[in-house]
Amino acid sequence: MDTRLSPSAPRRSPPPPVEPDEAPVGPGEPWESVLAGVREAVLICDAAGVVTRANAPAHAMLPDLVVGELVDVARCRPLTDAVHAGDAELTVDLPPAPGAPGGARRVSGWSRRIADDAVCWYLLDVSDEHRRADSLLAAQDRAQFLSEAGRALHGVLHLDRTVRTVVALAVPRLATAALVLVNAGGDTVRWARADADRPRPETGELPLAALRATPHVRAALLGDGPADPWAAIELGALDVWGGADPGVGLLAVPVPVNGVAHAVLVLAADPADVVDAGPAPRDAGIPALVTEYASRAGTALAAAALFREQSHLGGVLQQSLAPPPLPRGSGGTEPCFGAAYRPAREGLRVGGDFYEVLPPATPDATTSFLLGDVCGKGIEAAVLSGRVRQSLHALRLVERRPRALLDLLNTALLDAAAAYGEAPRFATMVLGDVVPGGDGGDGGDGGLTLRLATGGHPPPLVVRTDGTVDVVDVTGTLVGALREASFAETRVALGPGDTCVLYSDGLTEARGPAGFYGEERLQAALGTCGGVPAPVLCERLVQLISEWLDGGDHDDIAVLAVQAPTVEGTCA
Amino acid sequence: MTPVAGHEPAVTSGPDADVARTRGAYLERLAAADEPGAVAVAIGALDAGVDAVTVLLDVVAGAQRDVGDRWAAGQWTVVQEHVATHISERVVAAVARHAPAPAPSGIGTVAVACLDGEWHGLPARLLAEVLSRHGWDVRFLGASVPAAQLAGHLHEEGPDVVAVSSSLPSRLPAARRMVEVCRATGTPVLAGGPAFGEDGRWARAVGADGWAPDARSAAALLASSPQGSWFPDDAGRPIAGAHPADDAAREEQAVLHARRAELVAAVAARLCDARADGARGPVDPADTADTAPPEELTDDLGHLVDFLGAAVFVDDAGLLDAFVRWVGSVSIPRGLTPAEAREALTHLAGLLRDSPRTARFLHAARTATAATDVPAAAGAVGAARGGSRT
Repeated sequence: MDTRLSPSAPRRSPPPPVEPDEAPVGPGEPWESVLAGVREAVLICDAAGVVTRANAPAHAMLPDLVVGELVDVARCRPLTDAVHAGDAELTVDLPPAPGAPGGARRVSGWSRRIADDAVCWYLLDVSDEHRRADSLLAAQDRAQFLSEAGRALHGVLHLDRTVRTVVALAVPRLATAALVLVNAGGDTVRWARADADRPRPETGELPLAALRATPHVRAALLGDGPADPWAAIELGALDVWGGADPGVGLLAVPVPVNGVAHAVLVLAADPADVVDAGPAPRDAGIPALVTEYASRAGTALAAAALFREQSHLGGVLQQSLAPPPLPRGSGGTEPCFGAAYRPAREGLRVGGDFYEVLPPATPDATTSFLLGDVCGKGIEAAVLSGRVRQSLHALRLVERRPRALLDLLNTALLDAAAAYGEAPRFATMVLGDVVPGGDGGDGGDGGLTLRLATGGHPPPLVVRTDGTVDVVDVTGTLVGALREASFAETRVALGPGDTCVLYSDGLTEARGPAGFYGEERLQAALGTCGGVPAPVLCERLVQLISEWLDGGDHDDIAVLAVQAPTVEGTCA
Repeated sequence: MTPVAGHEPAVTSGPDADVARTRGAYLERLAAADEPGAVAVAIGALDAGVDAVTVLLDVVAGAQRDVGDRWAAGQWTVVQEHVATHISERVVAAVARHAPAPAPSGIGTVAVACLDGEWHGLPARLLAEVLSRHGWDVRFLGASVPAAQLAGHLHEEGPDVVAVSSSLPSRLPAARRMVEVCRATGTPVLAGGPAFGEDGRWARAVGADGWAPDARSAAALLASSPQGSWFPDDAGRPIAGAHPADDAAREEQAVLHARRAELVAAVAARLCDARADGARGPVDPADTADTAPPEELTDDLGHLVDFLGAAVFVDDAGLLDAFVRWVGSVSIPRGLTPAEAREALTHLAGLLRDSPRTARFLHAARTATAATDVPAAAGAVGAARGGSRT
């Protein structure tokens, strides 16, 4: 019975027949036939390294092996060395068995001294276990790569950074160089390229028009066609390789970006050289790992493209709603201004509080200022505050007296709410203008007179240079709530360096671990700010409130300070 | 007012002497709250050939350190310091207009921000100016930047590097939040300023990728490695107190933060009783019942709890010791005295028995202060206490 593993394998020289009756064992001992049936190749060598016995699997594994000759004739160098050195174990990689299925073989062996001059070697073909372990490790490695790539890709929403990350992660794991082209709307295509020898990916933009010469790439980037092998051939012509020859073997991988954008990932060099043999056979086209990676890259690019669009939208909106910069005092009798703002939503620059200083529209007009608070927080409130401010801009053309202006605004807001079919949404505010001269007359003493009207808002405070704090006695109903609203107006004289402080209730109602901040603390804090420049005063108030809050939530907080210049004609 | 020589050694001639004189003149303008005068001193130095970085770091920042010293010596009020800082900010803007930074060189983009709760924006503003003069495309995000705002900026602008500045070790938990936001986007963080310890050890503890003691060394570090990371590779060489905050640290710090008001009130009440006893002997309890503790005392006790929290957070008792020693080196009228600080530590240890690390640190700090009354050179912590008051 032939029990050899590869009976059809051709041999350099025929092995001696293994017959039980020829075996140099004691009569009646069945060991030769027992040994022929085990999986291990078993051979016994004497002290000189001559093979004295070998079972059938040994001859199958080592076709050149001859019983009675030195182990050297088996032409297995590691085994020869191990036998002569008297090693205890060895690992051998054997070439594929000629004509037998399967690739290279991994053999694990161990030895045991069975007599003074006899060592028995057991050799086991562990190729299958080895392959299984390798493929398990490779699968783990792929999973880890994908998971790390996912984390790196999804942590960032900035489009250019995402584009750079997509190529940086691909090298050297997936390719020797990687290029990604992204069309996220507009007339240009962004690209990034990573090379194995450069730490930082290169980036750039191509006009869409430049892609006319590469119709397949263009189609893929406009969503009109898949990224096919033709696209890969065209890619060498694009000016994205930094002067280097991209070589042949470019692989164009479609990146699914779900309609928000279109992208093509290009891997240089034959990825089969780089990518571990994954579950996908090579003739299936793109390796599974690359496809998986492209899909993660696509999700990240889609999120980043969407975020860029939304954040641009939000940025433009916030820019239009944010308090405009204050006029810089031009000296002389011009008032000085300071302001500070801390919106309730810390990711936003705007909220329901608003302030503005309007320089004179005509030479004979006055400087107006206002600070207010619409109900609500966040972007909805900010949009409403924008409506209030725009209405004021228009109404100011026909009416300058603060109280009359509030009356008009009240009507305008109610009319607008009625026109849009909305419930009235009200605001509170202090509205004022500045007349040179502390006596309300024609100026000359360096002071200022303010005309102040309020609607439902905390009364302004006046900080004198000596630290005295006065509450301006002026009241009014909410603006935009009732047709029968009534507003009051008053005049306040400011001496040089005196400051009038307008603030929103977010200050006094700031609630920290020790309770509400309250008007008393506000007035005490202002008492230490006599003669302090208006911007410093405002920053200090917001800082004190923030410390009071101790990291807690808060409403919008806004402060606007109007200050009379010092006698030298400068802002304090 | 006499110009204060400050930290620099006295030099009587040469360019250093010119800079020292300019700094003295500048400080005089700050003392007079004279913004146009201060701008004129700085612009005059530029016109005389002094380079912009020297004007910014040696004249403006140097004079601001003198201002801090004057506050610590009780010569200047908090409001005076605020006004001086405001003027210096205007001066920085004027210097930037007069000697504009060159166009960005393409080395990269950097976002410069102060930690949430760090209101001293000037050092970061100066860093932003210096970096833009080293070719960086700089976005200055301002003082006290909430982590949410930084996150928005990272997603919108995608800077290559974030540089955070802080003078307050008590803000280290906030630094950790900021670093986590940056980590999530893969943006390396360079920490700067005395908040992170004299050798930057707490920068590691909060997970930053590097630390620079001042603006010049930050510029040098960023130039040497524009993509980070900047810590020398000394893995395997453990540094005391230089490991990431663990869960226990976070828990105990959170407890301290949550109980801050209660702890301050309890300790302040006890210290006020002691003060009343000391001043007048045994008194009628009704006499002191309505007297609120002075703000200076509750401020100092608040700092004590904050520094304790930061020490627990980075697991470094040295942070608390340095603060307690510093308390002894400065005299704030009605503020915490060294003897009271010891009393406060003992009382806090009793109130915080359930937090093992916290209690251990309090005990260690009390032992340390009992052993020596010599104020240590805890400049970093000192600046912090000054900064948080202003």
